[in-house]
Amino acid sequence: MLKTTAHSSLLAERLRRSEVFGAICLADCLEIAEMCSEETYDEGESILVEGESAKKLFIIERGKVSLEKKVQLGRHSTPRNATINYIVPFKMTGFSALVSPYIYTTSAICVEPVRVIAIDGQSLRSYLDAHPTVGLKVMDELTALISDRYRQATSTLTYFLSIVSHELRSPLAAVENYLQVMLEGYAGDLTPKQERMIQRSIVRVTDLRGQIGDIVDLARMRPEQIQTDFTWYDFKEVGNQAIEDVRLAAAERDIRIFVEPPTVFEPIVGAPRRMRQVFTNLLNNAIRYSPPGTMVTFRAWFEADEMVVEVEDQGPGIDPEDMPHIFKDFFRSSSTGDAPGMGLGLSIAKKIVDAHSGQILVRNLPDESPGGEDDLPGNAETPTGTCFTVRVPRNLQTAEMRRQKWMESASDR
Amino acid sequence: MTQQQLILIVDDDPDILDNIVTVLETQPYRLATARDGKKCMEMIAEEIPDLLILDLLMPRMDGWGVIREMRSEPRYMGVPIMILTTVIEDASRRRYELETGIAMDVQAYIQKPVSPSELIRRVEKLLGLSGHA
Repeated sequence: MLKTTAHSSLLAERLRRSEVFGAICLADCLEIAEMCSEETYDEGESILVEGESAKKLFIIERGKVSLEKKVQLGRHSTPRNATINYIVPFKMTGFSALVSPYIYTTSAICVEPVRVIAIDGQSLRSYLDAHPTVGLKVMDELTALISDRYRQATSTLTYFLSIVSHELRSPLAAVENYLQVMLEGYAGDLTPKQERMIQRSIVRVTDLRGQIGDIVDLARMRPEQIQTDFTWYDFKEVGNQAIEDVRLAAAERDIRIFVEPPTVFEPIVGAPRRMRQVFTNLLNNAIRYSPPGTMVTFRAWFEADEMVVEVEDQGPGIDPEDMPHIFKDFFRSSSTGDAPGMGLGLSIAKKIVDAHSGQILVRNLPDESPGGEDDLPGNAETPTGTCFTVRVPRNLQTAEMRRQKWMESASDR
Repeated sequence: MTQQQLILIVDDDPDILDNIVTVLETQPYRLATARDGKKCMEMIAEEIPDLLILDLLMPRMDGWGVIREMRSEPRYMGVPIMILTTVIEDASRRRYELETGIAMDVQAYIQKPVSPSELIRRVEKLLGLSGHA
């Protein structure tokens, strides 16, 4: 029979305040208290380390602990820690001490001075084996805790992706820089053949960098995040940047970009960097699916309530069966052939336009050549092109405008 | 004869440093390099550069930390800073403002990669602004 000391009964009470032992009766907590020790850690110290043998689990009693996972891509990049969660008093860390193969899956690092109750994992496992009712309750709590960590997965993924993105983009930027330095003759003269190969390498590396950006954007693309960037912008500037973005790709495929600008440019509210992305993605999409030697038209005009931008190509059109799916993540049409891309450009464009309370529409164009079926409506059977139309309202508000409006309505009350 | 202007280039990626040096050594400047923010501040304490080309994500002290120190020390306030990074400008400025409560005071912000001709053009422009020439 266990001899209860004042110290162990105090520890047992403290255990019962924790999330994992909250449903356990005092008698069992008294037994578990015998497997416990108290430990303190300074700010910056590790309580447990990812990949090491999991001997103890810990209940945080005071202070705050960050759960971190090491991210390292390739041998040459600096390993970084991604914070995946914070543990506060009465919560636990180190459940790997109860679950095979008993290896910690994250590191726990103190962000403040911390006091913990450390529980010996092997003793607790033996106790739970011998007392299945208690074991079930503890495992119930652990399941809830692990489910909660899974719910955090989206934010964890976003954080991971931002690190991954940087880790992938940095070496690519270095490669691209070297190529440009060579192309501009800073490392000696090039033969025409070498020059062409370097130009091709730059195009491929730039594509890859864009694709990495797309994956990261997909994780970050929340409307409220886009709306925080709302500001007054000049469509002329954003449109020109988008054309510049695709200039090389168009030249590569012998596609001419024909611009029909609005008669007057008027300032508009939106997220300019994101809108540039919409137009760049639509132009890139048009260029990719256009036969060489054809034209892509980029036109815009202002209506009373909306700004309208169209990107029109002379490609084969979109298969009517694919139409409902083209704005879905990672969708690639069956007629894509060997066109590069991952099927994210259009879905990203739609997310951005949606965050602007706008619309993005697509239609196949009828064949208007002599003898062509020019009397067919919208989704023609023999299309000779596709037209994407973006409509964004002109009454969007910047964060400052929203703040002022709120202040005015508050002072009226 | 006047001394050539000094450019301090700070980046943890040796290939990026090699690239920038290869391009800028064709121009009449003195160049110095550092691989992290702490080393950068030590070098600035020895000689104030006419231009600082600065990466943001670096070990020991990151670029935002360097900007904070530069802009809070009267002797360094006039040094133009060119950010050269893979971090998107909006996100970077927001982070600095959240951490310090003030706007990020840098004279140029370039996302990597930068073409040699663009780099030379921007450097020439910023050195025209430098008060240390």
